Amino acid sequence: MPIANIAALGTTRKMLGFSRSTVEFEGATIADLLRQLPTQDGRALYDTLVCNGKLRPDFAIVVDGLSLRTDELDKQLQGGEQVVTMAIIRHLAGG
Amino acid sequence: MATTTAVTPSQGRWIPSTCGMCLHGCGIKVYVEKGVALKIEGDPTNPDNLGKLCPKGNAGLARLYDSTRVLHPMKRTNPKKGLHEDPRWVQISWDEAYEIVARELGKVRRDDPRKLLCALGDFQRILFWGWPAVFGSPNFFTSLGNYCGGSYHPVNGSVDGSFASINDYEYCNYWIQIGSGDGFSSHLHLSGSAKRMADARMRGMKVVSLDPRCSIASAKADEWIPIIPGTDRAFVLGMAHVLVHELRRYDRAFLRDRTNAPYLVNDSGDFLRDAAGKAQVWDLSANIPRAWDEVPPEFMALEGAFFHDGMTVRTGFQVWKDILSENTPEKMAEVTTVPAATIRKIAKEFVDAAQIGATIEIEGKTYPYRPAALNYYRGSQSHGNGLFDNLTFKLFNMLVGNIDVPGGHLGVPLDHRGFFVSPGEDGMLKPEPHQLHPGPVFKYPPDSSHLMEWFPIGFDAGQLNAETLLNPERFGLNYRPEAMLIYHSNPWWNMPETDKIEQIFQQMKFVVAIEIQETESTQWADVFLPDQTFLESTLLNCLEPPAVTGHSLRQPVVKPLGDTRDAYEILTELSERMGFRDNWNDLLNMVCGFTANPKYLLDPDKRYNVEEFWDVYARSVYGEERGLDWFKEHGHAVRYRTPAETYMAYGSLRIPFYFEFIKRTGDEMRQKFSEVGLKDWPLDNYQPLPFWKNSQVLEDGKAGYEYFAITFKESLHTFADTMVMPWLSEVSEKDPVHGGILINSITARKLGFKTGDRVRLTSPAGSIDGGVQVVEGIHPQVFGVSNAITRNVVTNKRVKTRGTHFNRLLTGSMKYTDSATGGLESTARVRVERL
Repeated sequence: MPIANIAALGTTRKMLGFSRSTVEFEGATIADLLRQLPTQDGRALYDTLVCNGKLRPDFAIVVDGLSLRTDELDKQLQGGEQVVTMAIIRHLAGG
Repeated sequence: MATTTAVTPSQGRWIPSTCGMCLHGCGIKVYVEKGVALKIEGDPTNPDNLGKLCPKGNAGLARLYDSTRVLHPMKRTNPKKGLHEDPRWVQISWDEAYEIVARELGKVRRDDPRKLLCALGDFQRILFWGWPAVFGSPNFFTSLGNYCGGSYHPVNGSVDGSFASINDYEYCNYWIQIGSGDGFSSHLHLSGSAKRMADARMRGMKVVSLDPRCSIASAKADEWIPIIPGTDRAFVLGMAHVLVHELRRYDRAFLRDRTNAPYLVNDSGDFLRDAAGKAQVWDLSANIPRAWDEVPPEFMALEGAFFHDGMTVRTGFQVWKDILSENTPEKMAEVTTVPAATIRKIAKEFVDAAQIGATIEIEGKTYPYRPAALNYYRGSQSHGNGLFDNLTFKLFNMLVGNIDVPGGHLGVPLDHRGFFVSPGEDGMLKPEPHQLHPGPVFKYPPDSSHLMEWFPIGFDAGQLNAETLLNPERFGLNYRPEAMLIYHSNPWWNMPETDKIEQIFQQMKFVVAIEIQETESTQWADVFLPDQTFLESTLLNCLEPPAVTGHSLRQPVVKPLGDTRDAYEILTELSERMGFRDNWNDLLNMVCGFTANPKYLLDPDKRYNVEEFWDVYARSVYGEERGLDWFKEHGHAVRYRTPAETYMAYGSLRIPFYFEFIKRTGDEMRQKFSEVGLKDWPLDNYQPLPFWKNSQVLEDGKAGYEYFAITFKESLHTFADTMVMPWLSEVSEKDPVHGGILINSITARKLGFKTGDRVRLTSPAGSIDGGVQVVEGIHPQVFGVSNAITRNVVTNKRVKTRGTHFNRLLTGSMKYTDSATGGLESTARVRVERL
């Protein structure tokens, strides 16, 4: 089974209950990985971050430095990737 | 009798660092002897400023050693608050100061974090501007950036993924300067830009300056054209008319092949799309519309109207061409007071100089060569229709195909990360109107007091606080702010409608200031947390560099004076005491780009001191071998941008000529407002192309406000911040243009005024008083008020407080705000009376 190195920031850190973890998972896509990450409330992270098969616009996932588009949840993972999950903070003041 | 001892260089040492007297950060070296900084010079090894340094940078020591600096945490003991109320500060320990602030802000946070207003400045530490978001507050209580960037930045980001823009100093031969000090007195990296401008003039570049006042740029230009404020767009629309309708000279190949100008527009103003949703062009070979990527360029119609499927469709270019047919030089002359012959002359000179069709080879690659460009900034586009102003200036440059090519009008990135380049729809570059934070999502009731949720393509319209906070119910705001964080910002001074801002200050139950010196705004502070100056603190800086890229290190060159702390440490300690330091680290992970390489992610459970933080930052950008120690030794990693980084960084992606996405955003907003029952919110400016229409400030003339009032700045000062410095205020006082209200001699004769007379200017928003200064170099219908006439509250007794606070004349309401971008009107209509 492939492994992924997860870094969870902000809200997703609190959902998952860890900030860094190496996770072994079944399957080959980001969606597969998210389905196998349990959150503190018992659901999978996928259920919180994904709506109608797309990543919700309030969240971001970065794989090896590249931010995924909302429709890229079927992106294939080879194993060993660095995956960052985070909530987007829109109110970063500045003008 | 005092004695002096000569200082020899061998007694001290030069330390490389970065200037902090404005937002851009020139490379400097500071001569330090026995722990005392004695001299600042430009760093000749830094290609950004090439060893040059402006007056502000030279005066940096005066800030460090200013006897009126606040050097210890202070607590207010006078419960009465007001502009002229003495806070009766008493010195306290940092521990007590932190305890008070954490207790008071903590209460607000537990109750409703939106009740914190944050006034943020200090652009060099822009990475820290997310602190309020971690606290939970969405509010931006200042309008500082909106005076210049409210409409400017979103349009730059929408055209080519840039943050700012500038003409190409290296190759431009004909430079039109509209309402800007670039290369002469202000804006992007002045010291280096002035050198680049001087070099370009030496090789023969011509400069034409449009400005109501004979600014430094105008005085040094080959030609100065005085113009009515807020009508620069009309002048440029007139020139565009000349190019398109009279001379018929424009870069057809550029418009057809590198923009969406040939895309067909239906009678609703949307692109004509095929069944697959692709934008269509008119195929001249088959005489039918086809998808944009199915038609060879030679068969793609750039202009024309075509009958298709029961309606007339036009190319995007044709739509603007039709708009321009109305903008004859004669009509635009009536608006601007610039003679039609002058509009025609400048248009002709511009297109002649542009050399449409020419190419140039640079480092083995051939680029289009367009050595004529129009540059602009605050004066010409900080208006109620600022979106139209910016779009007009960009489109005029596009007519000669000079966007992002040698000699032309170039994008300038926000920082070292370069342009925001990613593919959008229809073969286009994806528009990026927001670069300081993700685009806001519509919400009603809104969360933010400046209604950012209602400006999806705009910037933070801080000036709206003057309306919303005094009438929250009118805007659906279901809370009232109770506390304020002032972070290197002076909202009392820099926001319009000063009386309303005072009322808002009075409503605050608790105010904390992180500052270096007292200001008008800190008169309301309960606790003062003293930050360190740029000569005592640490950061890596790279902001809006016009010609270079890479960071320059700001480092302590002397031991910090008194008991001051680096702002990073202050914000981190407050986060710690309020229980969200982990989130603070996570936010820094995001805004610093550490997510791109998780190896450098800050651990949420660890506290990093200021040096550790910047060390991580340095290594995340430059690799393990260039940490903070490397920068301490070398000072900077600044280098020239390569041609590939500078010119057409987006490759073959098309850039917008017809801004369909703006129109579409307006349609979506209209729908959303309708769904929540808000029918009177203005959405007029969500237009795909610019045209001429009067702004509110021009309409105010009908209400008896005969004259215009403008303000201006020069190289001596940065916003209001430096006006309290004796070195700089002394220089200002010796220049008559900073001595009072500038009035043209013709107008002065007509009104019977002479230099020294006291007058009052009254706008629809308020009044200011000042002494008349009769000059020749200002438009006869315009009064000029220098930004350097000094402040109202100054602790340094050597600085005179003459008042004449221009922003009192401005209005912060939506009537004077661009409805699409949130850009602020910075000109006022006034009447004048003798006192």
